[in-house]
Amino acid sequence: MNEATLFTGTFAIYIIATFFYFSFLFSKKESMAKLGYTFALLGLTTHTGALAWRLFVSGHAPFTNMYESLSFLAWASILAYVIIEGKFKIKKAGPYFMLIVLGLMALASSPLMPKDYAPLMPALQSYWLWLHVSVTMIGESFFAIAFVTSIMYLVADSKQKRGVKTGLSAEKLDEVSYKCIAIGFPLFTLGGMVFGMVWAYKAWGSYWSWDPKEVWSLITWFVFALYLHTRLVMDWKGRRSAFIAILGFLAALFTYFGVNYLLSGLHSYG
Amino acid sequence: MRIFLQFFNSVKLAIVLLIIITLASIIGTLIPQDRTMQEYVFHYGKLAKVLTSLEFTKIYNSFWYVGLLFLFSINILVCTLTRLSPKWKRAFNPKMEKEVKNLIVLKTQEKFSKNWDITKTKDKIQKALKGRRYRIREESEGGKAFLLARKKTSGLFGADIVHLGLLVIIAGGMISGAMSTSNYMDFYEGQTLSVVNADFQLRMDDFETEYNENGSVKDWKSTMTVIENNQDILSKIIEVNHPLSYKGYMFYQSAVDFDWQNPTVEIWAKKKDTPDYTEKIRLRLGDKVELKGENLQITALQFVPDFIIGENGEVATRSQQPNNPAVYIEGWQEETQVFTGWIFAQFPDFSRIHAESEEETNLTFELQGYQGGEISILNAAKDPGANIIWLGCAFLMAGLGLAFYWPPREIKIILETIQSKTEITAGGIASKNKAAFRTEFENIMTTLRRQK
Repeated sequence: MNEATLFTGTFAIYIIATFFYFSFLFSKKESMAKLGYTFALLGLTTHTGALAWRLFVSGHAPFTNMYESLSFLAWASILAYVIIEGKFKIKKAGPYFMLIVLGLMALASSPLMPKDYAPLMPALQSYWLWLHVSVTMIGESFFAIAFVTSIMYLVADSKQKRGVKTGLSAEKLDEVSYKCIAIGFPLFTLGGMVFGMVWAYKAWGSYWSWDPKEVWSLITWFVFALYLHTRLVMDWKGRRSAFIAILGFLAALFTYFGVNYLLSGLHSYG
Repeated sequence: MRIFLQFFNSVKLAIVLLIIITLASIIGTLIPQDRTMQEYVFHYGKLAKVLTSLEFTKIYNSFWYVGLLFLFSINILVCTLTRLSPKWKRAFNPKMEKEVKNLIVLKTQEKFSKNWDITKTKDKIQKALKGRRYRIREESEGGKAFLLARKKTSGLFGADIVHLGLLVIIAGGMISGAMSTSNYMDFYEGQTLSVVNADFQLRMDDFETEYNENGSVKDWKSTMTVIENNQDILSKIIEVNHPLSYKGYMFYQSAVDFDWQNPTVEIWAKKKDTPDYTEKIRLRLGDKVELKGENLQITALQFVPDFIIGENGEVATRSQQPNNPAVYIEGWQEETQVFTGWIFAQFPDFSRIHAESEEETNLTFELQGYQGGEISILNAAKDPGANIIWLGCAFLMAGLGLAFYWPPREIKIILETIQSKTEITAGGIASKNKAAFRTEFENIMTTLRRQK
């Protein structure tokens, strides 16, 4: 056994979990959702094993190239999801959220992502790598859940308006989206903005350089700040909130992928 | 002044500004910033002039972007301050609720009677509330008792502390923008340089590049000593991520360069007719070294790390990286020059030795080694805004913690004696996490109802 086997095994387990979640969606059998959740937990365990394996072999944080980073993001997403589903009982979000996780795992498995162990370049040799990347990604995972529940809200809302009953009420989905952002926003602020600035100051001598990745994190932060202010001060709810939450996640996604491939700057580590 | 305040005391304005700043920030990532005019003309043609005059090519330092941030700061400040005073009153000088009718309209409320006198009831209630970490104020008036139990009151100020943090961060950013300095210092081993605008010097005692097994750079280590008044004050090894901090200056390992002005080269001389003859000589540029056993002196006069023939036929270097190192050598017999030519490390067969006399062509020369001095480039930065930024970040995070995870809770209780019984009316207020608060409220009330 090795890290690659563990990773592939995890991918398979996530596929099984997705299968059960979709069975639940179509058959409405609670036991299917329970199986989906169990397999998600099992996958989380083996995934943790795969990351730990990589950590011990390489001796550095398991998110220093695109493969590792995607795998870690998938791990953080599953972690965030099992917490949120456990707390708010939103198993209907399971099948859709699992699709995002599968997407991340598929991208990570792609042959375009080199999987070999490479020594860490000097700029990344810092414990701030751990703090900055892991906290940011865990925060973004909660944004991803809010993204899914916000889309589900839009669907449920239009169904309810037509008098069709939905499994999860639109109000509940709106509330869960807010709760996820209430968890994700402080984490993203701490990991993405604060830890990022501290590390930039220690490594480059300047806490803020208007590098595209920095600016896009700031843009993401602004969008979620907008979400919170319109909601908490101006009592926006429902559709408009959902749109902002979706926009916020897309900004986070662009910060993560788009900046690396479309814009160049200091954060171009591949 | 009133119009000024009215204008800035608007959440709508904040949202409009936030959207404009966001859009401007996006533009700044789509148009490459701080490039030359030629580049903009190449990419955007006639638009280039419009873009530069609107400062779209240096947005983040532009007058209007900084102006927007400034307006936004005033907006935040005014909004925060005008909302602060009622909250302040509520936190430090709360009004005691004395009307039962105001409590029974609350969503979270209960009304019941106990067979206790009013003092005992009050004690029991206080005990139950204190067990849940509520802090209690009490008053009594006309046979009635009023209780105000609160906890996590500081959560009221979460958003204000976030805003304070943002203002401090923006202020820190402005200070950095105006006052931070950054100078690059190129050190050779053993070199001492004065730090710009400072009363101390730095000396690089040692420089080392460590490599990984695959040949990539593992680390750069510059051993630096701070010298003040001709005395060594302290020594520290600077690495990436491990800057040296002294008297408000930070010294960062920034880059490494090679010094090809004065390298040492190793040249192997061979003979065409004697395959096992090899004579190795090491010399610096300008040195003249005797080739053993031959009546011949070799001198190296020019070295380039990345050999290229320029447009006018002159020798030049393509880069400072040793991609195609070449050295120009001359052979002398006493005062007579016998050959000249370039020899290449990568391409020994290309070496062209132009002999002045026939007999010496028997010798060939190979460039087998070259060593440029390494230059360690340090960034000497001074940023008086940095500590202000960290303070702002601390406020920001503390405020977010309070705003999201420290929700204030209030329970207001009125006790009244009615026919030798004490009637209890209780109402609760929580702005966040209402479900959890209702559970807590009901638990407290149920405990009280059951007590004998």
